[in-house]
Amino acid sequence: MLRIENLCVDYGLRRVLHDVSLNVQSGEVVALIGPNGAGKSTLIRTVSGVVPARSGHVHTNGDDFRSLTHIQRARYLAVVPQAVSLPPAFTVWETVLLGRTPYLGFLGQPSQADEDLARRALERVHALEFAERRVGELSGGEAQRVLLARALCQSTPILLLDEPTAHLDLQYQVSLLQLVYELAHHDHLAVLVALHDLNLAAHYADRVALLVGGRIKAIGAPREVLTSELISDAYCLPVQVVEHPLSGGPLVLPG
Amino acid sequence: MFRKILVLTLLAALLAGCGPAVAATQSPSTAAPIHVQTEAPTAAPTVAPTPAGVTLTDGLGREVKLASPAQKVVSLAPSNTEILFAIGAGSQVVGRDEFSDFPAEAKLVASVGGSMGKYSTEQIVALKPDLVLAAEINSPELVKELEGLGLTVYYLKNPTTIEEMYKNLNIVGQLTGHDTTDLVNSLKARVAAVDAKIATVTTKPSVFYEIDAPAANKPYTYGPGSFGDLLIARAGGTNIGNTLKDAYPQISLEQIVASNPSIILLGDSNYGATAEAVKTRAGWSGIAAVKSGQIFPIDDNIISRPGPRLVDGLEQLAKLFHPDLFK
Amino acid sequence: MKPTPFFLVLLALGLALILSLAIGSVFLSPVELWDALRGQGIQTAMQILWDIRLPRTVLVALTGAALGGSGAAYQGLFRNPLADPFLIGVASGAGLGAVIAMSVKWPYSFWGLMAIPMAAFVAALLTVFIVYFLARVGQTVPTTNLILAGVAFSSFATSLTSFLMLRSTGEVRRALGWLLGGASQSGWTAIIAMTPYLIIGLGILTLSGHALNLLQFGDDQAQQLGLNVGRAKTVMLIAASLATAAAVAFSGIIGFIGLIVPHVMRLWFGADYRRLLPLSIIGGAIALLVSDVIARVVLAPQEIPVGIVTALAGAPFFLWVLRRTKNQGFW
Repeated sequence: MLRIENLCVDYGLRRVLHDVSLNVQSGEVVALIGPNGAGKSTLIRTVSGVVPARSGHVHTNGDDFRSLTHIQRARYLAVVPQAVSLPPAFTVWETVLLGRTPYLGFLGQPSQADEDLARRALERVHALEFAERRVGELSGGEAQRVLLARALCQSTPILLLDEPTAHLDLQYQVSLLQLVYELAHHDHLAVLVALHDLNLAAHYADRVALLVGGRIKAIGAPREVLTSELISDAYCLPVQVVEHPLSGGPLVLPG
Repeated sequence: MFRKILVLTLLAALLAGCGPAVAATQSPSTAAPIHVQTEAPTAAPTVAPTPAGVTLTDGLGREVKLASPAQKVVSLAPSNTEILFAIGAGSQVVGRDEFSDFPAEAKLVASVGGSMGKYSTEQIVALKPDLVLAAEINSPELVKELEGLGLTVYYLKNPTTIEEMYKNLNIVGQLTGHDTTDLVNSLKARVAAVDAKIATVTTKPSVFYEIDAPAANKPYTYGPGSFGDLLIARAGGTNIGNTLKDAYPQISLEQIVASNPSIILLGDSNYGATAEAVKTRAGWSGIAAVKSGQIFPIDDNIISRPGPRLVDGLEQLAKLFHPDLFK
Repeated sequence: MKPTPFFLVLLALGLALILSLAIGSVFLSPVELWDALRGQGIQTAMQILWDIRLPRTVLVALTGAALGGSGAAYQGLFRNPLADPFLIGVASGAGLGAVIAMSVKWPYSFWGLMAIPMAAFVAALLTVFIVYFLARVGQTVPTTNLILAGVAFSSFATSLTSFLMLRSTGEVRRALGWLLGGASQSGWTAIIAMTPYLIIGLGILTLSGHALNLLQFGDDQAQQLGLNVGRAKTVMLIAASLATAAAVAFSGIIGFIGLIVPHVMRLWFGADYRRLLPLSIIGGAIALLVSDVIARVVLAPQEIPVGIVTALAGAPFFLWVLRRTKNQGFW
């Protein structure tokens, strides 16, 4: 499980994350929502070690991430970034195999076991049929699934996804998040996913964290966080929250 | 990881430092075995090889030994080629650089390359010379390379005065087994004749010597330290480039106009510069030499190549500067 | 890694080596060559083969290998198809060092003659050092900064070099010859001096294929997958610069090999750097060997500086390869 405690991050002189605390348990999906610029990507990048934190801690199972090497951290935590500007010449297979990096030797030579894992990951995301295609030829949805497969290869207990549904058609948004849900609930991963679509968050997340201006405004079950007061305030737009006719969960509508 | 690389790098530096020991034990001797050819005698008298051979120190401080005068010479510079032919060793020249064009017979000798400083060492080796004559335009690296191939190389340093040029003639004479006394004496006599007449001169015309003018308002000329400057002075002229700092400086049009030379010499006439073209240059019309039409083409090779033709150059300059004295 | 690409490429290398030994400005028939190889030929042929062509072939092959390998590494490090080994100033630094050294009259001795290559080598490494520290922002060295600092410093060094060359017209000929490239220091000395740096530099790069693959996805993703990005980049930069500096110090500045060979290898054999790096190393050797043969032969006995041949021949060849593989190859 992932514990983020009092994380503060500065970009130069500007503080972008104020005292952010958030826990993600194994087996749950926590959706990170908030307007653009709130710091969702920054939070994910800081937790994954790419951006240094000014203060605060990120733990898992007692290990503070700061004391870990890059490889050790990569065995705990995998990130699925947005599928933009990927090197077009690599094949899907080569890309997914890179997910085994934390377990490969210095030369990066995969073993049969590594290759089997990669194959299973590709099957999981229904991308095995285009394993030999080049990344440059894929659609946005396909590429995003490939990146998810790569993250699965990392065999980590924690999974972070940075707005994976941006730029995707609706059917791909749904299938991806469905898969993410399964990964949490069947494979017991701790999943933190930044989403801009509030209703998808409501549908697929066990808990929702609202990040505004670098601060956590609310954490809780979807119906607790997706209220018209909180959302209208956060997005500076009057919204109505009604009951979803099928699931019974909250449904956010502008106006 | 990084530390390992640092250590490896230092080890490699040490390894490279061991290089000289290896190279030193591998470098062959500089003297190649010489075979005396039984050839038909040449026009100029040859000196019988002395039993002791020839031992000289060349311009790079290297000791050069020949068991007997060289019979197959490769010349790496036009000036060397001219010297070799002038002292009567023309038939001993088996290879020459690309730019050797005087005398005409030199062009019939096999070329070994030479532009951009790149010679075909294969050609040189194939010619099996017993002497390679290098000049200051050849790099020390080239000398080392040829030495490493077992060839005997003599690096002839550029003379800085006409007297030093005579010395070079003597050196090449020793190396090839020719007596240069007569040649040097005749050159000395010609120079003395010029000196005597110039000593009587009261006014010295100011001279602008154009080596090359890729940009018409900033041509290259001879400055102090160059042979051109020396010859102009000795021929009774005043080189306007003498006040500049380098040996081959650029001079601006302003400076030329300010010096107002009464004679302009076109060293770049070999490359197509003509007096007519100079007259049409913008800003040049006010110069004394242009107004009076005293613009003369001259073969730059006789002014710049450090060989016996420098005396020709001296004579031609003197004639141009003081035509009344040299009918 | 499939064996086939390496087999083909090594075969081509063998052919190029034979070509370089067989062809020169003096014509040697196959019989003469074969005799000389066995140590039984006429003296001239033996001397040409063993003392002139063999060291030259080795030097050219090593130089080409260094340029091809570091070119591939630079393109991977900077994720830029226009990157070549001289991107961050190695060449201009070396040129400046060489021209400064040429203005001094060194004694005619072993160290006196090593002075110029050594000055070029040191200046090249110093340039990379300076550019690296100019580009640093805190702990990281952003690639954009590196490129900008490299280009700026290169222009500075090149202008300074031109200025120095103008000031001492006597040395211009020598400097130009050096700058245009070509095996000026022949003989085994250069090879012995270069080899340690090439082994270290190219050895490290060959082992860095995996890291380079990761870097193609961006610093962030590479780090998230477990790579110590800062350290990996620094190590690779040093390795590539060592190899390039050693090559430039003894062979002058030879362009296009480092730029084009990796692209050709990528078009033919794919973008996996674990394979691309060793293939570019061998490919660079082949390309420069062939260029050098052309340089020696086209205007014999005149030798064209090999940098001119690589430019004139390299660009059309690359365009031809590009056309043959269009729509199949990706950057």
